[in-house]
Amino acid sequence: MMKTKTWIAIIAVLFAVCAVMSVLIFTRKGHVAKVVLDGRVIRTIDLDAVTEEYSFEVRGEGTNVIRVRPGAICVSDADCPDRICVAHGWESSGGAPVVCAPNKLVITISDEDIDGVTF
Amino acid sequence: MSFSKHMRIIAAAAAGVLIMTGCGAKEHDAAFFAMDTYMQVKTYGNEDVSADIEELVRALEDDLSVTDEQSDVYRLDHEGEFGVSDDAYELIGTSLDISRRTDGALDMTVYPVLRAWGFTSSTGYRVPAEDEISSLMEYVDYRRVDISERTVRLPEGFMIDLGATAKGYTGDRICALLAQKDITSAMIDLGGNITALGTKPDGRPWKVAVRCPYEEGYICTLDICNMSVITSGGYERYFEDEDGNEYCHIIDPASGHPVRNGILSVTVAGENGTLCDGLSTAYYVMGAEKAVQKWREYKDHEMIIITDDNYMLVTPGLEDIITVTDDRYTLKVIDDED
Repeated sequence: MMKTKTWIAIIAVLFAVCAVMSVLIFTRKGHVAKVVLDGRVIRTIDLDAVTEEYSFEVRGEGTNVIRVRPGAICVSDADCPDRICVAHGWESSGGAPVVCAPNKLVITISDEDIDGVTF
Repeated sequence: MSFSKHMRIIAAAAAGVLIMTGCGAKEHDAAFFAMDTYMQVKTYGNEDVSADIEELVRALEDDLSVTDEQSDVYRLDHEGEFGVSDDAYELIGTSLDISRRTDGALDMTVYPVLRAWGFTSSTGYRVPAEDEISSLMEYVDYRRVDISERTVRLPEGFMIDLGATAKGYTGDRICALLAQKDITSAMIDLGGNITALGTKPDGRPWKVAVRCPYEEGYICTLDICNMSVITSGGYERYFEDEDGNEYCHIIDPASGHPVRNGILSVTVAGENGTLCDGLSTAYYVMGAEKAVQKWREYKDHEMIIITDDNYMLVTPGLEDIITVTDDRYTLKVIDDED
């Protein structure tokens, strides 16, 4: 049978590990954009790691051209009728998700400090 | 000390750690497209009610959609008289109340004009001729919507659209569903219409950002609990003609033209999501001065008006929970009295 002190030590270690983990998990400052097409994540982009502007095409129910630059992302062209996604313009951390409802495309950008964006 | 006592201490410590790290309440995510937008509902608790939430939203959309040929609203618009569902009936009644308290700045009968500008169809945006607008304006007057005994009647040529209040109402209905399921912590995001239920699982208030009109990022945040925060602005849905004139999707029911009055966006916060949704549109239409007057008259909500001369007009109730993050805007607290 282990001594009470040993148990306390184990609990203390557990506490310390959890505390460190929670700090790591909850204060991570990564700004990651997720490109979601019809409910499936098709691309994950760490916007902080982007050094050069580039674009790529996404094909679902329609076609959207997505443009990425350091720290920001946008839909630069689309064949949807309302083109709200293109009008949205560049979006960075903590901004609203870029949505193309006709093509079922969503680009979300994670921001640990913000729980929701009203627009 | 006995072994079981040790185990109990460990269990208590583990529970403590779980609570401290916020892992105690399980997060459940419902995310789907509905009502022409992207909806995300995060709930915290043991039971996953994501499927019930989506089902509720789809049922409401089936009643309230203005384009779905099977919906109550569509049939009312095309048959002139219809015994609508309980939800449609209640929402039409509440929306008419908001129309009355805003002197018609919110008007569900503006739909024929909205359609002429191309904002609801897939045929594309257009600038209608003045005589086309003035002839359609004959069908715009919320006072002519007759609602009694579960039946709604419209005069010949009239059509209604509940787009300005439907999402706010949906947020309220989701809250009621969650209350039934004993869920006390949730973040409901219906395409930028936010309803925060309770606090975050760790007990802190929810942090909601107000998007920067026309640009990326946000201009301020609010720390809220049990509150809806709903924004109307012309920046989300608009088009430009060949001369570069901008036309937004919110039509002034008094003129039949897109609103243009120096307001970039209006955010209304309060306990009733339907009211917040309707008022945000009505205030956007009436302009800052009149919106402030109306707020002084009722004081049953909070608001933020962002103007094109870079002011944020904020009601006193928000002073302690707002953080301005964009220094290009100057915060001005609205006076309680004239």
